[in-house]
Amino acid sequence: MTTEVITDIAQAEQGTSLWQDAWVRLKKNRLAVCGLIVLLIMVMTALLTPWIAPYAFDAQNLDLGATPPSAAHWLGTDIFGRDMLTQILYGGRISLAVGFIATTVALLIGVTWGAIAGYVGGRVDAVMMRLVDILYALPFMIFIVLLMVVFGRNMLLLFLAIGAVEWLTMARIMRGQVQSLRQQEFVEAAISLGLPTSTIIRRHLVPNALGPIIVYTTLTIPGVMLLEAFLSFLGLGVQPPQTSWGLLISYGADTMEEYPWLLIYPGLTLTVTLFSLNFLGDGLRDALDVRGSRD
Amino acid sequence: MTAFRQLITAVTVSGLLACSAGENNVERGNREGILYFGNGTEPQTIDPHVLTGSPEGNLASALFEPLIARNPYTLEIEPGVAERWEFNADRSVITFYLNPEARWSNGDPVTAQDFVWSWQRALNPKIGNQVADVVFYHIRNAEAYHLGRIDDPDAIGVQALDAHTLRVALEYSNPFALLKFTYVYLAPVHRATIEAHGAPTDRFSPWTRPVNFVGNGPFTLDEWKMQRFVKVKRNPYYWDRDNVALNGIVFRPIESSTTEEKMFRSGQLHTALNPPNSKIPDYRAQSETPLVEGPFMGIYYYMMNMEHPPLDNGRVRRAMALSIDRETLARSVLQDTVTAWSSYVPFGMPDYEHTHILDFDPEAARRLLAEAGYPGGAGFPALTLKYNTAENHRSVAIAVQQMWKQHLNIDVQIANEEWRVYLDSLDQHNYDIARMGWVADIYPGSFLDTMISTGGTNRTGFANAEYDRIILEDLRATPDKDAQMQLYQRAERIFLEETPLIPIYAYKTKRLVQPSLQGMPANAGDMLNYKYVVLDADAPAWKWQTPADNRQAAN
Repeated sequence: MTTEVITDIAQAEQGTSLWQDAWVRLKKNRLAVCGLIVLLIMVMTALLTPWIAPYAFDAQNLDLGATPPSAAHWLGTDIFGRDMLTQILYGGRISLAVGFIATTVALLIGVTWGAIAGYVGGRVDAVMMRLVDILYALPFMIFIVLLMVVFGRNMLLLFLAIGAVEWLTMARIMRGQVQSLRQQEFVEAAISLGLPTSTIIRRHLVPNALGPIIVYTTLTIPGVMLLEAFLSFLGLGVQPPQTSWGLLISYGADTMEEYPWLLIYPGLTLTVTLFSLNFLGDGLRDALDVRGSRD
Repeated sequence: MTAFRQLITAVTVSGLLACSAGENNVERGNREGILYFGNGTEPQTIDPHVLTGSPEGNLASALFEPLIARNPYTLEIEPGVAERWEFNADRSVITFYLNPEARWSNGDPVTAQDFVWSWQRALNPKIGNQVADVVFYHIRNAEAYHLGRIDDPDAIGVQALDAHTLRVALEYSNPFALLKFTYVYLAPVHRATIEAHGAPTDRFSPWTRPVNFVGNGPFTLDEWKMQRFVKVKRNPYYWDRDNVALNGIVFRPIESSTTEEKMFRSGQLHTALNPPNSKIPDYRAQSETPLVEGPFMGIYYYMMNMEHPPLDNGRVRRAMALSIDRETLARSVLQDTVTAWSSYVPFGMPDYEHTHILDFDPEAARRLLAEAGYPGGAGFPALTLKYNTAENHRSVAIAVQQMWKQHLNIDVQIANEEWRVYLDSLDQHNYDIARMGWVADIYPGSFLDTMISTGGTNRTGFANAEYDRIILEDLRATPDKDAQMQLYQRAERIFLEETPLIPIYAYKTKRLVQPSLQGMPANAGDMLNYKYVVLDADAPAWKWQTPADNRQAAN
């Protein structure tokens, strides 16, 4: 009896970190957990695609042509007689990679840039944000095309190039958040305790600004996936026979009346991914928002 | 007061009803004699001495008339600005007698001096005419002046004997010489208008704006809204105005063939020139199909850069050409909208015997590749196949890429570029393999003449002394048509044996035409003559029939 009480107290004193709290809250959110599971399955499938795909990704059967779903081809075939399921599996590798890598790049640059500008303020802020304004004003396509012309066609570079352009909005959101946060008492307390600026930004400002950042991130990922399709169409991204969800959708849309399955299945896959991302993002925002929680 | 209000209500209601009855462009056009024409892209210019693309050509053909016109049904020549013409004894000089009734759209007479001035302008190196070598070089000294070897424009073999007599001296006698005078590139332009709005050799100047424009075609420019439409109306001074049925044409620039087809189906266009391939089988299945099909003189091919190893090896080039299964490609990927074709002079050339030494033969292809030092594709360098951004080119490239992989076990990358960048790459020979097409006329020279070693459109590095001699010397010394055909066949064989390019298919016309529209048949020259176009005023717009409708019709 007594021992139990003591353990309880010990546990209570140990306390839980922000992240542990968040994880507990996230687990309670069923939609978010579903989203997380779906995404994990997607990533696993993408990693294992070369072993589980039913056909070779460039195998054509011109005599077969476009056929609706059947026992041999569960999701049908395109005009080259290529298996749609295989195309979607391989496309997922590219799309997920573009989505995650480009968004991570955007996140890293944007959050750091915005946090520094917002926290330091004054002239530094003015210069940093004017730079963002200038980059905003640059026609975005021309910027990416220039990057590709200078560095050549390279898949990883494409990811980085998209990320390097997508960080601008992220930086603005972060700056706004940080500006309002730094007026608050806990930041002033941290300053008066003599914590170095980098620690304040890392430990106090960024975690508290995560909500909007996460929401914006979940919006960026689909945007980036579609952007990749657009660039590929222009000849700057992936080239046949490689493919991506965005490309499958844009070509499927051209023939949606004749071969609807070429649009429906890649479209469904992308939709499910985006839903999962949004649910997870929503869940994460709620879980990380200290003010919104009741504990 | 009440009566007045009732009247207002009645007028409003009937107005609304008229709107909701929804007369579409086609029905309104039929009634008013206005042709709604789907014209691909926004035309860059209408200047006949600057234009090269077919949207520009479609528009300029309505606004200008060359010396000779052509019947769109038979392709036979008939009077244009010239009412008759005659050759001298050795067929080296043509005299054109201009129709004294021929007028510009401002009422000025079209004179022989107009032609002299116009052609001197077209050949002036400063204006940068890109098709001069193909359409003008049969005229004496045209080449020398165009390439800057002589400076005096009066040395060109064109002379005005009087206001209505034009004498053209030819560089060499050619049985097909007259055909070139039917091209819109040789149409006259109005000197006073051009000089009033800039230098004669400006590629772009305001003379082509509707307020300034003066032309000599059956129609004249009415209104031009960028990216929306170009409207032309009847030219009241056109000499043959009584035989022009249309009151006007609205050219709509619609880049996407999918959109264009949808607009045609909803009755917004009388004709769409390029419906997407995936729709073709459905259109063919319609009981009263608006689809018009037929072969024309155009060839689609892959050029090979003979300066880039391993494409400098003739066996490699031949092996790549032999491993393309064109029949399957045409049938499955392109829905039989083209003719699988393995030689350079396209299918359907009159009086011409074709050479088919590049037909699909994977066994021979593998053997040649092994002889070239790449048995089973081993050690074959990575090559890139380039195409200009378009859905059709992409489909062909994907299929061909896989055929090379399957039959030769070689990996070829695919890359696409926007049209202008693409042309620039080709001009600089910055490619390994690149897709191209050539659309020309119903005589073999319009294809083979372009592939001489100095030809502007021969970007492969192909240079064969015997070939050049046949084209530049033997043919020019042979006025007989049958003998010419023999020579062309010999030249083509040399060309195909060296395989500087891989012919893939011959083009077919595939256009959608409303039933009310007459006078736009498929022809071997893919040629339009708006004088023949007639709209049936009472015909309804064409309606898509679902399979159920077809069954009912059958019952």
